[in-house]
This record gives sequence, C-alpha cells and structure tokens, in this order.
Amino acid sequence: MLAEIGLVSTFLAFVMALYAIVIAIIGGRRHAERLIVSARNAALLTSVLLLVATGALVAALMTEQYQLSYVWSVSDPATPPFYRFTALWGSQKGSILFWSLLMSLFASAALLINWRTHRRLMPYVIAYTMATLAFFIGLVLFFENPFERWWLVGSEAVSTALIPAGAAAPAADRLAETANGLNPLLRHFGMIIHPPMLYLGFVGFVIPFAFAMAALASGDLSTNWIKATRRWTLVAWLFLSRGLLLGGRWAYDVLGWGGYWGWDPVENAAFLPWLIGTAFLHSVMIQEKRGMLKVWNMFLVIGTFSAVIFGTFATRSGLIDSVHSFARSEIGFPMFFFWTIISLISAGLIVWRWNRGELKDDHRFVNILSRESLFVLNNVVFVLLFIAIFWGSFGAPVVSELFMNENITLGTDYFLRVTPPLFVALYILMGIAPLSAWGATSLRRLGRSLIVPLALTAVLLVALVITQHTTDPGALFGYGIVSLAGFVALYETYRGATARRKSLGESWPRAVVALFARNRRRYGGYVVHLGITIIGIGVIGSTLFQQQTQRTLTVGETLDFGGYSLRYDGFTDAIAEDGRRMQIADVTVSRGGQELARLRPRQDIYPTMPMTIAGSYSTLEADYYVLLVGWEETSAQSATFKVYINPLINLVWWGGVILILGTLIGTWPTETVPAQLRQAAVVVNGRARAKA
Amino acid sequence: MNRFKNTRTILMVLFALLALAVPALAQDGGEVTADDVNAIAKKMYCPVCENIPLDVCGTAACDQWRDEIRIQLEQGFTEDAIISDFVSRYGDRVVGTPQDPTLRALSLVTPWLIGALVVILAGFGLLRWWRGRGTRAALAPAGAPASDDDYRARLERDLQGRR
Repeated sequence: MLAEIGLVSTFLAFVMALYAIVIAIIGGRRHAERLIVSARNAALLTSVLLLVATGALVAALMTEQYQLSYVWSVSDPATPPFYRFTALWGSQKGSILFWSLLMSLFASAALLINWRTHRRLMPYVIAYTMATLAFFIGLVLFFENPFERWWLVGSEAVSTALIPAGAAAPAADRLAETANGLNPLLRHFGMIIHPPMLYLGFVGFVIPFAFAMAALASGDLSTNWIKATRRWTLVAWLFLSRGLLLGGRWAYDVLGWGGYWGWDPVENAAFLPWLIGTAFLHSVMIQEKRGMLKVWNMFLVIGTFSAVIFGTFATRSGLIDSVHSFARSEIGFPMFFFWTIISLISAGLIVWRWNRGELKDDHRFVNILSRESLFVLNNVVFVLLFIAIFWGSFGAPVVSELFMNENITLGTDYFLRVTPPLFVALYILMGIAPLSAWGATSLRRLGRSLIVPLALTAVLLVALVITQHTTDPGALFGYGIVSLAGFVALYETYRGATARRKSLGESWPRAVVALFARNRRRYGGYVVHLGITIIGIGVIGSTLFQQQTQRTLTVGETLDFGGYSLRYDGFTDAIAEDGRRMQIADVTVSRGGQELARLRPRQDIYPTMPMTIAGSYSTLEADYYVLLVGWEETSAQSATFKVYINPLINLVWWGGVILILGTLIGTWPTETVPAQLRQAAVVVNGRARAKA
Repeated sequence: MNRFKNTRTILMVLFALLALAVPALAQDGGEVTADDVNAIAKKMYCPVCENIPLDVCGTAACDQWRDEIRIQLEQGFTEDAIISDFVSRYGDRVVGTPQDPTLRALSLVTPWLIGALVVILAGFGLLRWWRGRGTRAALAPAGAPASDDDYRARLERDLQGRR
C-alpha cells in the first residue's frame, strides 16, 4: 500500500509541475492573473504531494517493508530506527526523491514570500523552478524509482514499479534475511547531516537562478530579482558551506586517512558551486550598489546553477569513474541533456537581452583600486580556481580518456601545485578590498588604512618565530597573508565601533551590537572573513606541519613520536549491538611523562567492508590521531598503528563555526520599518478601527 | 709454508667476520620501514577503489602493492624507478600526476593556459573601461543612468510586448 501511495503521489506531483510550467508561461504572456494563481497553486501542491511520497518511503523504511527494493537495499532487521530514517538519502533512488522534496519546499517558500512584492517575476519563477523539479521527479519516476518492489516471475526475482503479469510476492522473511543493510560509511553523525545540508545548498541556488531567468524572460531587469534572492543566495551558501564542512569532518573521522580534504572529484563537485556562488555573492553587491556587472552576474548565477546540476550529474552518472560508465548509467544522458538544455536557454536569454541593450551598466569602472574593481579581481580569481579544480577533477580525466584512450587520475599533487597561488591571491584581495571605497580610492588612502592590519600581522609573525620557532618561509608567508585578511575584518569592525563611540558616546559592547544591527550584511561578512581566516590558518598548519609514522608495537611497548608517547596496552574483540565486529586496541598517550588520554582506535568489520575508526586526542594546538591498521591475528600481542600529528586542525572546524555564525548574522532579516514607526502605525490603525 | 698457512687463516677469519658484518651493516643503514613504503605509496592511487591514495587504502590489492613497493625498496630501487615500474604495468592512472609527457603537459599546463586567457580577457575589459572613462566623462556625468532615448525605447518595447 505504501508503494502505491508513494508512486501515485510522485506521479501527481510530476503532473502538477508540468501543469504549473505550461499555465505559468501562458499566464505570464497573457497577463492572466487567474492562470498565474492556478500555476502557483499547482506548484505549491507539488510540495504536499512530495511530502506524502517521501512520508510513504520513510514509513516503509521504519516498518521494514523489504518488498520495496529500496528498503531492502539500504536497511536490514539489525538497522537501528535512527539509521532507518536517514536511509532515506542512503542511496541514489531515495536521495533523488528527497532532493525533489527539498526543492519543492524551497520553491513553495520562495513563491509565498515573494508573491506580493515581485509579482511580475512570478510566472517565470514558477516555470523555471517547476521545470527543474519536473526533471528530477521524472528521474524518480522513470529511472530511479524508490517505490519499485520485488516480484517473483516464475523462478526469477525482478524489481519493478508496476506489478508484472503472473507475478507473486516473495516471502517476507526471505527478503528480511537477504536485505543489504545501510552502507557502513553512512553510519556517522557527519554523514547523517552532511547530505541534507549539501542538498539544501544545491536546491537553494535554484531560487536565485529562477529569479534571474525570470528577470531575463519578463524584462524586469532592475535590481528587483537581486533584492528578492539576496537572502536565498545567502541561505543556499550557508547550507552548502555547512555541507562541505560536515563532509570534511566525516572524512576525518570515518575514512581513516588523517585528513579532511582529499581533492576527490566528489568533494570537488560540491566545492565548485560554492566557488562560483561565493563569486556571485560578492559580485551582486556591485550591481546593487553601482548598477554594474549585470551580464556578469547573470553568467555567475547561471554558472552556479550549472555547477550544481553538473556536480549532481557527475557524481551520480558514473562520469567520475569513467566516461564509459557515464554512458552505461541510466541517468547519465537525461542529466547531461537537461544540463545542456537549461544552460543553452539561459545563455540564449542573456544574449537576447544584451543585444537589445537592456543589460547595459549604469556606471563604469573609474579606478583600479575601487572596491568594485577589487571585487572584479576577486571574481576572476574565483573563476580561475573553478577552472583549475574543474579541470583536475573532470576535464583532464575525461579528455584523456576520450581522445587519448588513457585513464588518468589527477590527485593531491596536481591540486597542491595549481591552487595555492590562487588561494593566496584570494586572501590578499580579502584583506585589501574591505578597505577600499565604492567608486574610487587613492593608493595613499588605501595604504594608510592598511598600516594597522599590517603592523598587527608583523607582530603575529614575530611572535610565531619567537614562541613557536616557526622559520619555514612558506608557512610564515601563508600565515601572514591569511591573518592580514582577518586583521582587516577586525580592524574595520573596530573602526566602525570607535566612530559610534565618538559620535554617540556608546559603550564598547553597545557600539559593536548597534554596528552589527545597523548593517548586518557588511559586518556579518566580516565575521565570515574572520572564519575563513581561521580556517586558512588551520589548513596551513595541518598541511605544512603534519607528521605521520607507522609502527608495529607489542603489548606494553611504547612509540615516541613528535614529542608524544604512545603505549600499546591491549586488544579487545567485541560484537556491537548492530552485529558488526569491533577490533579495538587500547592505547595510552602521554607527553613529558604525563598521561594525556586513553584512546581506543578500532576497526569495525561489516559484512561488506571494514572501517577504520581513529582514536584522537584533540587540543587547539594539535590532534594526536591514531589508527589501528593491523594486528597479529591469533593473540593480538602485536598491533600496527598509524599515528598522525595534525597541528591546528581544530581551527578548521572552529573557523567553520564562525563562518556559519557570520552568515547567519548576514542573513538575519533587517527591520525595514523602525519599531517606533510600527508602534505608531498600530496606534493609528487602532484609532481608525475604533472610529469605524 | 707456515707463514703462508698463517696468512691464509687470517684472511679466512677476516672474510668470515666481513660476511657476518655485511647483513648487520645493511640492516643498520638500509632497513625498509613502513614509513619509507608509505612515502612512496602516498603518491600512488589504489588499483581498485577510485581516487584513494595507496598509503591509506585498506583493500587486499593495496596491501599487495605496498608489499611490492617494500620488496623493490629492499632490492635498492629508487622512488622514481618504483613509480615508473607501476606506471609501465598499470598505466598513468596509478599516479596523482601522469608521467607520460603529453598527458603531464595536458594536465598541468591547460589550467594555466585557460587561466591566462581569462586574465587577458579581464585585463582587456578593464583596459577598455579605463580608456573609455575620459570620453564618457565628457558625454555624461558619472553615475547618470542610461540616456532618455534608451530608456524610452526600452519602455516602448515593453509596452508593445504587453499589448
């Protein structure tokens, strides 16, 4: 029954999305209000229908309906209820349905919130969001259907959405016995939250894209679409950033290689929209403030959406494994087709409006040191980073396989050669741009503003040399560039608060709070810059100064490494409640003769794969990270450990927290009507009602 | 004769001592550690799993490859020779940056070429704005919106679209 409910709801959602597209376009062309409202209602209905469909799948997962092949493939009787729920996005079929649900919810929210204020754009916003949604629901219905069930046709078991002729349902207990269970890699807190965060980030970028295309289609090329989507863009960026950070944390905890970013194509596929989205966040400010870069912003918003669709396509079609597996994948061609069509239509719309002279800039660049010029440079660097990472992840492997018949992988070597100069350029611009003014800035004025942050950076570097004995020129250069950006953010906030104190006589806390309240976007942005600075320091420390060793120890033996001692105390073989076998090593970490921690690095043995779970002693200074990589089979008298010392790695996570905080500040709605005026309006309304 | 016999005995004892000392010396200076193996494995990729560096991959195939690296190190092969040997047997996929000169150039040079193109285009754009600044300043005050004619034409087109 649940399969039928899910299937029918998904099909109806598909029909509603198609109806909304057609009616919205007709309504928009004819200016027929009734049709546009009908299209909106159909669009809103897709959310309800997809909620029902997703609810049916979750209910099937929770109640162990193994006849549904999706439930059978991602859970088994030993799967705990919590993981049953998260199994919704544990595999491709469920995750595309979940993606569709999130997209319909985002689209509905965008329609409801902007319905009155941006009426002219609405028909086309409906058309674009529903076109994207209809495509993904189409994938669910025709290619990756999570409501398919197992049937026995003769002696053969087949998985289909519709009941084949002469089919019988397989025995429930037999299905339960053979069920696959959830991929062990997904049994981690980071992995539970990481995919929904990424999906929210991805689908969130559909909204600014739909508004931009609506602006092009409707001809309302003022800043309306930007105002309507500013917060949506920030929200999408926030979720994508959180998704990336959680993905890094998951890799660090679960994948057992001592790092958080491996430049893997799947990771990079999520990083690419973030890069273009960040460029767009900066560039769109220029259009708002100066009416410039209209065409460029359109390209960036299309680029972000394209990167989202391409990333999804690349990671789900098998393209990363090989171009041939892309061709074999069922969703490879449909996704590629959709990506191409939507990109071509969007680019065509831009060219059409451009030819009509409707995308002319209101102002021109007058000074190379103006904030807008520096933002353009920042955009260029973001685009270069995008190109370098895209090429390394997808371009070179696909080109070499297609044209040279050679399968290659570009690994960390490539990315560490190509990207550092670009990151350096980004941090330099992040340090300088906030100090320049819109319109024009003189070199002298900019130089004067830089004196204090530069002096603070110099003090920090001297302190590093004296106290930490850091003499590596590369590291000092990196720390210097990165911390300059952070000091500029702090200094600008300090300057703003000082100005308020002088003019209004406010206390320090009050001045800072008022400063953030008055311009949340700007000062929230500085907090984000501070977060990125802290992440940068963490990345430099953990990349340049990571130490690692591998050693086999007998029970009681000690390994001295990096100023720490690791003693192997013993070995435990246990069975967990969910049936996995755990091989646990007990070790003691000490420093200078003082015991710091007792760790239990382990290997979890699942029927499908083993997982190496690290034991870690974590401080702000460094992580002492221990992996159990082998043991003597019969008595476990000896075990092999891989030990990493990752300096400053926790700054990556703390920087991420600050980045999220800053984005929340920037996203938080600003009161457009002062409280006093609102109160006055309430009083006036009350009097008017009393008179009536 | 006795003298000769004595010399021969001394030489034999010396050879015997030397034969005992050689393995001990070799172990002292040239013992291959797991860290030596991992330093090379880190630059290579798992033959089974996608995009997982060889030093951290836990599959049996990777264990075998690491053993092969250890054996080759014990035989005195250099890091480059070991990597070249793996590439010759399994192709450029096993390394993070291809060894084949054409593929290497394609991989490493292309992003810089595209990047240079982007920078040139951006520079060209900025230069055009820079040069056009004086002319525009003479024609219209900075910050003025597009001319009335443009605006009127756009309005007309919009109105026509609505009719």
